[in-house]
Amino acid sequence: MSGLPMASILEVREVKKTYHMGKVLVPALRGVSFDVEEGEFLTIFGPSGSGKSTLLHLIGGLDRPDEGEILIDGSNIFKLNDSKLAELRLTKIGFVFQFFNLLPRLTALRNVELPLSIAGLPEKEVMERAKEMLGFVGLEERLDHRPFELSGGEQQRVAIARALINNPKIVLADEPTGNLDTKTGWEIVQLMKKLNEEKEQTFVVITHDPYIAESADRMVHLKDGLIEGIKKAPRRNKQ
Amino acid sequence: MKVSKILVMAWENMTQRKLRTSLTTLGVVIGITAIVGLASLGEGFRVEIRQRMQQGFELDVLIVIPGSLTAGLGQPFTPEDVNGIRNITGVKLVTPLITLPQANVYNKENERINAVTVGAANFSEMTQMLPEKLIPLEGEIPSDDENDTIVLGYKACFWNETTRLANVGENVTMQIRIQLQTPPYTTININKTLRVAAILSKSGSPGITNFDYWAFIPTQTADQVTGREAYNLILVKVLDTEKSEQVAKDIEDFFQKPYSISILVPITFMRQVDRILTLAEIFLMGIASIALLVAGIGIMNIMTVSVIERTREIGILKAIGAKNRTVLAMFLSEALLIGLIGGIIGVFSGYGLSFALSRAISGFMQSQQQENTVFQTPETQRMTINPVFSPQWTIIAFIFAIIVCIIFGLYPARKASKLNPVEALRYE
Repeated sequence: MSGLPMASILEVREVKKTYHMGKVLVPALRGVSFDVEEGEFLTIFGPSGSGKSTLLHLIGGLDRPDEGEILIDGSNIFKLNDSKLAELRLTKIGFVFQFFNLLPRLTALRNVELPLSIAGLPEKEVMERAKEMLGFVGLEERLDHRPFELSGGEQQRVAIARALINNPKIVLADEPTGNLDTKTGWEIVQLMKKLNEEKEQTFVVITHDPYIAESADRMVHLKDGLIEGIKKAPRRNKQ
Repeated sequence: MKVSKILVMAWENMTQRKLRTSLTTLGVVIGITAIVGLASLGEGFRVEIRQRMQQGFELDVLIVIPGSLTAGLGQPFTPEDVNGIRNITGVKLVTPLITLPQANVYNKENERINAVTVGAANFSEMTQMLPEKLIPLEGEIPSDDENDTIVLGYKACFWNETTRLANVGENVTMQIRIQLQTPPYTTININKTLRVAAILSKSGSPGITNFDYWAFIPTQTADQVTGREAYNLILVKVLDTEKSEQVAKDIEDFFQKPYSISILVPITFMRQVDRILTLAEIFLMGIASIALLVAGIGIMNIMTVSVIERTREIGILKAIGAKNRTVLAMFLSEALLIGLIGGIIGVFSGYGLSFALSRAISGFMQSQQQENTVFQTPETQRMTINPVFSPQWTIIAFIFAIIVCIIFGLYPARKASKLNPVEALRYE
């Protein structure tokens, strides 16, 4: 690759968010700023309650901050109304969750098709792309299985396929290995890395597993709603 | 998201919860069944009543009587009155009638002929006025210059529809009680021999122009017997039934003096009855609609539960990019499908219900009629209600079902669409 600086796909600027638990104010984020470059694999590491999930929800446009701004492709997403924000989630963001969050009554194929169906693409194209994507995550034999007929690892692969089907700018993963055994968890991480390398997809992954955190290009260490440090992983230099 | 896809997903959701969906739909089915059932039965009732009224009244014939029904009968009409009505615009034909309530008719064996009313008429005018009522079964309607003849109604001649009391060509005696107009003002009996010219065929319908129990004599004969030209009724045929009311008003204006006449306008009467039936139908529909409203509340209840159960699913959909209005459309289409399916089934079962009810009502009425032994009801007077499929009411009921479902589905659907995605995703 050339030595030119890469464009920031994501910019987080002084983001603050406080939750109201009844009368008690719980500060989740107290002013967080960092950038993510296009094609980067970034992990956000920190203990429970450090504000990781809140940050991810804000980046994904599922919630709005009290202060600060988040720019995706250079534009502040919080200037968008709910409808435009939904459109942004549909076209530029893919979500992977700890508990997979697949629709239980739909088959693997239908789950992966869902974002394309929401986008209103023609039925045939939707199916072809979903099949291709499931093939890529190694589930070509499991197209017609419903989530309860799949193992945890397989379910997470379906979720990853669903997150990637719309070819988003950024994939956001919230503890994607948190509900899997170590071996399966590691396989999922490897799959995400493969996607990151082969498809040059940007990944922002939340984890509290230090091995996973340190295997990334960069790791943002979050504690009590503040960034403690950003660490560049030496052994994974794309150069 | 494409509408077809939303509908497919809604359908899949509904079939996932078969029992719940069926029970919710059942509510709509019951509501629509009640509305369509009562509507078709009501329409059947209307048709039956209309037919009966058309049989009973000649819709284009107005009946003018002297005086008023409330203030008492006035002086009989004079030939001048009759001529005056003849000159009114819109009048096609006028014929006066004399009724002789004190008259009795006896056959040659001196048995009383069953003529409840003896009326005097101009036969040629009467046959033009009511061509369907004066059809001879035997003999011929006498011409205007044939005096001292009599035409018997079917039941006047055939007592109990079995015993014949007179034959065409035979002589009968009309006995009439008349009060002398000069001193000593006593009442005397006058006997008049008349030749039976014709026997009328069965009119078969109830109403004021049913002449089954009548006997008719020529006007001249009545004038001779009573010694004066005075008419108790004037029948007026109008050119255009729809303009009956205008003609009636012109006749009233002709007589000038208030309460001097009363006019029976069948079309007005019929319109009034029709209006009453419409009101009754709307009232019934209103009651039936309550069933549909209850079904609507059922939908709201079930869908609210469903939104709570599917909170997480809604969160997922929103996270992967579904807009609020897509979520709204997903839930609303479930309500819509319930309305559509419930509506379709309800229309069919409603029509079925109306058939069952009409059979039950007819059966009940017949059992009532059999108990009534004093007056046997003739075949033609038996009420049979055949349900009429009313496309207009069916469409109204169908649209109503869909509207109710959508309105009651709107609250839970909006609730779903407004869910905060982060909270929805956290929902266990």
